[in-house]
Amino acid sequence: MKFVDEFRDAALGRAVAGEILSLVEPGRHYKVMEVCGGHTHSIYKYGVDDLLPANVELVHGPGCPVCVIPMGRVDDGIAIAKVPGVIFTCFGDMMRVPGSGGSLLDAKAAGADVRMVYSPLDALRIAKQNPDKQVVFFAIGFETTAPSTALTLKRARAEGVKNFSCICSHVTIVPPLRALLESPDLRLDGFIGPGHVSTVVGARPFEFIPDDYRKPVVVAGFEPLDILQAIAMILRQLAEGRCEVENQYKRVVPYEGNLRALEVLAEVFELRPHFEWRGLGFISHSGLKLSEAYADLDAELRFSVPGVRVADPKACQCGEVLKGVIKPWECKVFGTACTPERPIGTCMVSSEGACAAYYNFGRFAREREVV
Amino acid sequence: MTVVRTDEDRGLALCADAEGARHAVETALVEPLAAGRVVLVHAGVAIASLAGEVAP
Repeated sequence: MKFVDEFRDAALGRAVAGEILSLVEPGRHYKVMEVCGGHTHSIYKYGVDDLLPANVELVHGPGCPVCVIPMGRVDDGIAIAKVPGVIFTCFGDMMRVPGSGGSLLDAKAAGADVRMVYSPLDALRIAKQNPDKQVVFFAIGFETTAPSTALTLKRARAEGVKNFSCICSHVTIVPPLRALLESPDLRLDGFIGPGHVSTVVGARPFEFIPDDYRKPVVVAGFEPLDILQAIAMILRQLAEGRCEVENQYKRVVPYEGNLRALEVLAEVFELRPHFEWRGLGFISHSGLKLSEAYADLDAELRFSVPGVRVADPKACQCGEVLKGVIKPWECKVFGTACTPERPIGTCMVSSEGACAAYYNFGRFAREREVV
Repeated sequence: MTVVRTDEDRGLALCADAEGARHAVETALVEPLAAGRVVLVHAGVAIASLAGEVAP
């Protein structure tokens, strides 16, 4: 298929794998974090890690939008979904994320009108088709998804749609990365930067990683050759004693980002003082809420929500997985009590979650044998 | 996705995905598009327009 096959070329892949082998220092262990869940998915889908030398370890980061939503936020969404006369809309993955008393899918089974949408614009369309109902969109995701919510809110405003609102759980990528870099649990050698987030924010926001922490960052695409090349670029920086932000995904990511999208984000959202992340706890200035100008479309103000912090189930180790401290198969409930069909933790829900990626692409048996 | 046709008045483009399925895509965040252009679409919104023969 045009535009795809050339980035999955086996011979080229083997050539880059050879380059990677030539760049590693014998006896040194390299830990490279892929920040984005999309990369985690690609790595296991295409077996990218099988092409790496044993001393190059890929560590999975916190960039899975569904995975980082804490149970309390799910409970807030369910509370609104249960209000009579509400049509509650969300992305498909979000429907299966467990809250303290079940998921949105459970709420739907119990009679709530919960609908899956592909885009917040679909939720706005539902609002226009149902003027006698209140339609609420559960907005999640990093800077990749936030522009879509922002444009939808601008359309709602421009078209005078009064029965539409949004419960905003959008998050930003830089604060959790800084939190991880400050964490004593983890020693990392470099980062594969998130390609799609960078389409919006650009590569520049990651400059603090080489500047403050002396680690290389390579913003990368999502095809197997993209990821292999990014790993080679990180290892080359390390071999040459450099650390800087490089952009492997130039065909999509402008270094300065998408300025129109950034403008829209600045107009519609503002930073929350702090936001709770699953497993990572409260991180300052890491979440978005609707700005004053759009407060009338804020579902958290329009409806009453519990807003209570709910601790993760004791058996669940999503926090450690999201921080890259443990591998998915090291979690006590991985593949036994927690599966994609009956997830306990968020990392098993989304296809971008590290646990789901391991489970769905057969890493379960192989990694267990290693143990 | 590849742009099939554009509707500049409504700020939309009809785009085809890799399987040929067609989607209405919001185009406010990218430069003016023409048929045949490849765009990166996220949650119904084009967030990047690709130059040259490259893969999203």
